[in-house]
Amino acid sequence: MELSESVMKGLQTLADPTVFDQKSFTIFTEVAFDSLVSPRGESVLGHPELKHIDQTTLKHCHTAATTFILEGVKQNADKSTISSCLEDAKFLNERVDTFYNSFQKNKRKLESLLSSIDTCPPHVTDAEWRLEYCIKNSHVHKVNQPSYLISLNTERAGASSEINFSCTMEQLQDLVGKMKDAAKSLERATQS
Amino acid sequence: MLLVLSEEHKEHLGFLSEVDSAVVGEFGRIAVEFLKKGSNPKIYEGAARKLNVSSESVQHGVEGLMYLLTESSKLMISEVDFQDSVLVLGFSEELNALLLQLYLENRKEVRQILSKLAPSLPHYHNLEWRLDVQLASRALRHQVKPTVTLKLHLEDGAKRSARVLQTDPATLQHLIDELERALAELKSSHCRRILRNIK
Repeated sequence: MELSESVMKGLQTLADPTVFDQKSFTIFTEVAFDSLVSPRGESVLGHPELKHIDQTTLKHCHTAATTFILEGVKQNADKSTISSCLEDAKFLNERVDTFYNSFQKNKRKLESLLSSIDTCPPHVTDAEWRLEYCIKNSHVHKVNQPSYLISLNTERAGASSEINFSCTMEQLQDLVGKMKDAAKSLERATQS
Repeated sequence: MLLVLSEEHKEHLGFLSEVDSAVVGEFGRIAVEFLKKGSNPKIYEGAARKLNVSSESVQHGVEGLMYLLTESSKLMISEVDFQDSVLVLGFSEELNALLLQLYLENRKEVRQILSKLAPSLPHYHNLEWRLDVQLASRALRHQVKPTVTLKLHLEDGAKRSARVLQTDPATLQHLIDELERALAELKSSHCRRILRNIK
């Protein structure tokens, strides 16, 4: 795993027992992982148990640690990769274990967080429909035709939007038929 | 339901009784053509010269016919009602029969043209789909994420548009279930009763 000089320096500071004693290290590790997984958690800066450490150093270490964690999740790094990186940063065995345990604990959540950062076409989340019977309009009387109004809810990067369109019964049957074809292909692909 | 013709309209149509039934037939054909493709004023001049009348009379005659056709088609009046409405103009029986035939032959098409003027949303035209498996992104490697990419073709009057969308297998099934529920609703007894009774 390639890490920048700044990240390595930050990790080395974190490994240093004169800066972070064992208790502070444990708390720091927990808060660092927490800050990624639950964004509303306690911040590292101003944390009551870490007040004795210089705030600039704290910020640097936090950035280094979180960068390291995310890089590890992104590359799906195994235990030996993580351990060797930490050992390069002069982590003692006990600290390597503490860090790696937290990493394992939070890996799943972090993976799903990262996988949701995606550029993709608007993602359809729901379909709403309305069945109407048109009796007349200003141009033609005695229309007497049923029609559907479909609204597809889509989401993209947190912003939701809608696609509205109308269709007759035959057109809706065509739409549903094609979606069913796609679903059937999916099933066949997963079975083979 | 009878068609009520204004005095001006009656006057314009009055021109038709002064000409041959063959000419009226021709005017009828021109009127339908204009409804389908838009009017062409040059035709009025050509016809006016041949008949030795003012082009304005020709124009009024044709436009009168067009309006008669659109109004009757819009209201979908019955044969009997049409004949009674036209009686007011005092035309010969031959002319009345001609007008009736013009109406009956073209009303379906005229209604189709008129319905394009009504307000409407874009409507469904086609759906294309594709199955993909996402393997990696900038943020995360080593993925196996199945996705369904959809291209929804919509039509709004003459404009065609296509929207590219994406969904996952679970949502796709949910969409299918929901839309099938919508289709089933049309077959319910409540809907059937309404469709049967409002005609």
